[in-house]
Amino acid sequence: MKSLFINTSTDKMVVAIVVDDKVEYLCKENRGRDLSVSLMPTIEEAFSKTNQKPNDIDTIFVANGPGSFTGIRMGVTVAKTMAWGLHLKVVPLSSLELMASTNTEKEYVVPLIDARRGYVFAGIYDHNLNVIKEDSYISLEDLRNEIGEKEVLYVSEDQFAFEVAESDYDILKIISKHKNDEGINPHQLKPNYLKMTEAEEKHNEGGK
Amino acid sequence: MNTYILAIESSCDETSVSIIKNGAEEISTVVLSQMDTHASYGGVVPEIASRMHVENITMVIEECLNKASMTMDSIDAIAVTYGPGLIGSLLIGLMAAKTLAFIYHKPLIPVHHHAGHIYANNLVKEMEFPLIALVVSGGHTELVYMKEHYSFEVIGTTLDDAVGEAYDKVARVIDLPYPGGPNIDKLAKEGVASYTLPRPLDDDSFNFSFSGLKSAVINLVHNEIQRGNEIRKADLARSFGDTAVDILSKKTMHALKKYDVKNLVVAGGVSANRWLRNRLTEECEKEGINLIIPEMKYCTDNAAMIGAAGYFAYKLGRRAVLSLNAKATEPLK
Repeated sequence: MKSLFINTSTDKMVVAIVVDDKVEYLCKENRGRDLSVSLMPTIEEAFSKTNQKPNDIDTIFVANGPGSFTGIRMGVTVAKTMAWGLHLKVVPLSSLELMASTNTEKEYVVPLIDARRGYVFAGIYDHNLNVIKEDSYISLEDLRNEIGEKEVLYVSEDQFAFEVAESDYDILKIISKHKNDEGINPHQLKPNYLKMTEAEEKHNEGGK
Repeated sequence: MNTYILAIESSCDETSVSIIKNGAEEISTVVLSQMDTHASYGGVVPEIASRMHVENITMVIEECLNKASMTMDSIDAIAVTYGPGLIGSLLIGLMAAKTLAFIYHKPLIPVHHHAGHIYANNLVKEMEFPLIALVVSGGHTELVYMKEHYSFEVIGTTLDDAVGEAYDKVARVIDLPYPGGPNIDKLAKEGVASYTLPRPLDDDSFNFSFSGLKSAVINLVHNEIQRGNEIRKADLARSFGDTAVDILSKKTMHALKKYDVKNLVVAGGVSANRWLRNRLTEECEKEGINLIIPEMKYCTDNAAMIGAAGYFAYKLGRRAVLSLNAKATEPLK
């Protein structure tokens, strides 16, 4: 099994090529606003360095959110266009689940993405990546109430007022969990923002 | 040998893909307009536009190829609008185009949105040079001198609002729904130009200013409301439209004379305005100017025009690499 792995949900762009159970190429870099410039050249490099052609891939794993709206769209657009063009299987993954693959002794992992104004995108996972609490857009206060007495490791790429570990994805763990996922029609692949646009929120408040 | 360009345009609220043969013949075009969605917000909401582009982009590409009964194998190059426009919207078309260029090993051609609008005219009739192009849209008002293909000299531009922007704002003041331009155009038919409005920058330069005209209309409406007078909306629409069209056509005819050019092309969303079309047609007949105005379907944003411009860029050897970025603002070059 050969797969291409793309995550552009946060400032840390991840592109990987995994052949069977081996990570043949991995680029994990802070790209921030340069994402639209560097994503395609990095994918091109991933293929050329591993002597693979896009046609050789059977599955594209792509993080479709939550996270930076613009960032997610970059990865999703590339993944769906490539999957459509080459008839590849495409499997969407949660960007929070990716962060939750960080190795820890703790029983639970809480991946966080700062969504500003006291809100985060977060979920609660156990160390086998089972979902304890679904990914959601939630205030830090409500999240703490959900966590209660659980022993958790917070992981994030953002800074918070409390202690968080830097996320470190275990790509093989993710792929082995999802390799038998069915995949979706590339046309149906879309970002999972977990949040309406401000315009829609205001519109809805207006009683429409 | 025929050259087929597959073009992608997503700079605002239309997801469009087109296949163009030899820069002149439209094989197929698909335009997915989001206008109805944005209309309920009174204008284009950039984040919603981006969200719709990413959902639809591959379906639009597929439908365009199906409509043409073609596959990617017979496409020679991928052209894409890289700017100017809404950055989040542009990025969807751009990333899709880069991905297609990569997986199919096709040259990637960067196309400036305004070059696209100008080259829409080549789909109507072969453009002859030198020419003057009047580019009028919601974001831009420009007079461009072209000595030959892909040589763009901007000889005049708006110093404040674009003409289309002024139309939209005036429409809002007199309670016309979005999009303002076509609605003013429609209402003006029932009115007479009985309001006197100022003509900012009514001089020999090729620059425009529409902010003063727009403000004059807004002030007039406020003053009339304060005095308890009824606003004759159709008359105001007609007065505003006549003034805007008069400024545009005067400056354009002056540019043709000054540059001693016999060819005029009109481009951009506002070229759909019937008053502007009629006025320029009349003036050009009188002066013996060869005028091309795009068909209505080529006035608004579409990928066919990007494919036409992309063909000439392709022939001139213009290529982009996979690090091509989108630009919200970008001079025509």
